[in-house]
Amino acid sequence: MINFGVLDICQNLQDNGSFTIDNSDFMNQMIISGNTKLADIVMQDKRSLVLLPRFDIDLGFGDRTVKQVCQQKNIHTDFFLLMVNVFLNKNYFPDRKLKNLDVDMLLRYLENSHRYYLEEKIPYLETLIEEFKKVVKNPATLQLEKFFRQYIVEVKEHLAYEDQTAFPYVAALSEQIKQNAAHFDDIDYNIGVFEQRHDNIEEKLNDLKSLLIKYFPPSDDRYIRIRILNELMDFEDDLINHARIEDKVLIPIAEQLEKKIS
Amino acid sequence: MGKVLIIAEQSEIIRKGLLHIIEGFNLFTGIREVTCVAALRDAILRHHPNLVIVNPSLVNSDALDSLRDIIPDKKLRIAAMVYSLFDDEHINRFDEVIMINDNRTKLQKRLQNIIDKTPGKALPKPEEALSARELDVLRLLVKGMSNKEISEKLFISTHTVISHRKNITQKLSIKSVAGLTVYAILNEIISMEEVQ
Repeated sequence: MINFGVLDICQNLQDNGSFTIDNSDFMNQMIISGNTKLADIVMQDKRSLVLLPRFDIDLGFGDRTVKQVCQQKNIHTDFFLLMVNVFLNKNYFPDRKLKNLDVDMLLRYLENSHRYYLEEKIPYLETLIEEFKKVVKNPATLQLEKFFRQYIVEVKEHLAYEDQTAFPYVAALSEQIKQNAAHFDDIDYNIGVFEQRHDNIEEKLNDLKSLLIKYFPPSDDRYIRIRILNELMDFEDDLINHARIEDKVLIPIAEQLEKKIS
Repeated sequence: MGKVLIIAEQSEIIRKGLLHIIEGFNLFTGIREVTCVAALRDAILRHHPNLVIVNPSLVNSDALDSLRDIIPDKKLRIAAMVYSLFDDEHINRFDEVIMINDNRTKLQKRLQNIIDKTPGKALPKPEEALSARELDVLRLLVKGMSNKEISEKLFISTHTVISHRKNITQKLSIKSVAGLTVYAILNEIISMEEVQ
């Protein structure tokens, strides 16, 4: 397997706008560039499906290339390629491209991710847990449901904090720089606060997984438990990725902006 | 899952003798001794045993039922330790009968029998089973106690409590108290009512 270092990928991206994605299935390497058909990317790796709404891209894009779709939707092709790469490649950490990244676009992407969790992922998980409670007659099921509901409350608080405090702060920073403000209005916040508060919300998902895989005794419900686990693991992967984008892209960008202003 | 046994017997010779032999079987993660019914009640409430071995002269039929009702969610097995003559009707109300002239093998078989009757529980590999002390910590933890409260209750340092918690998390791969609570209910370490 060819292993591109961070620099190689960035260099490559700058040279010809394309780079290799180290698909987790290494037999299945795929070059994604602006000229790749978007449909081909989705066909190759189903994980890219959930990314589409985060760019406000809807299915039904025919044979259009990444570049064409991005132009139509007013997305920088580089940004799209960067996010796809971070999402599909665990070992990829962006570095040099960050400077040119459009902050508003990034924030919209992150907010859209939140919307997906809140409007799609969590409600579906809730119905599955509800179903599980009906099918699996065990006093512990009620406790599992309670655990799950508490967890969802925590996730929602976490997301709300980002939506209401951290993201608007970064947006305001970016706005001030655009308007060439001489000094930054006194906002009693900095991205360091966010960095410290940024705890791992995906951790408790591991407990739920252990309980369902190892400890709930066998019962008549073969498929419901598999459905729940599928969803949980999917959610977990997504959250880990999301946190990586916040840690490796959002926070460094905010720090750069803060430096410019001070 | 760890299994707890309580032996309720006045005679120290019989009690210690049973304890000594049963310890060798490695069937239980914790064995407690009591000498009267009041202490037995208290011990059942505190340790949630899977099995109680009791001298039939200590409990009449009503007392037997009330012992079984102490922890409503958990099926408590009660075996009689018989070394004098009792009415058949009384003895039949026990889940198992251990005779004074049982040999080691027979005793092991009887105990194994009762334990196996506990439904739907697969015994985990020994290295993953929680120790009796870890069970104590887990039980208090899921009742909502802090490390400090647990240390005071069990007369151990908070440092020891933390190290027990670490081991519990490692063995079960469950980190949060909420997750451990589900585990504790699944394995009848604690009843739903005890969770606040």
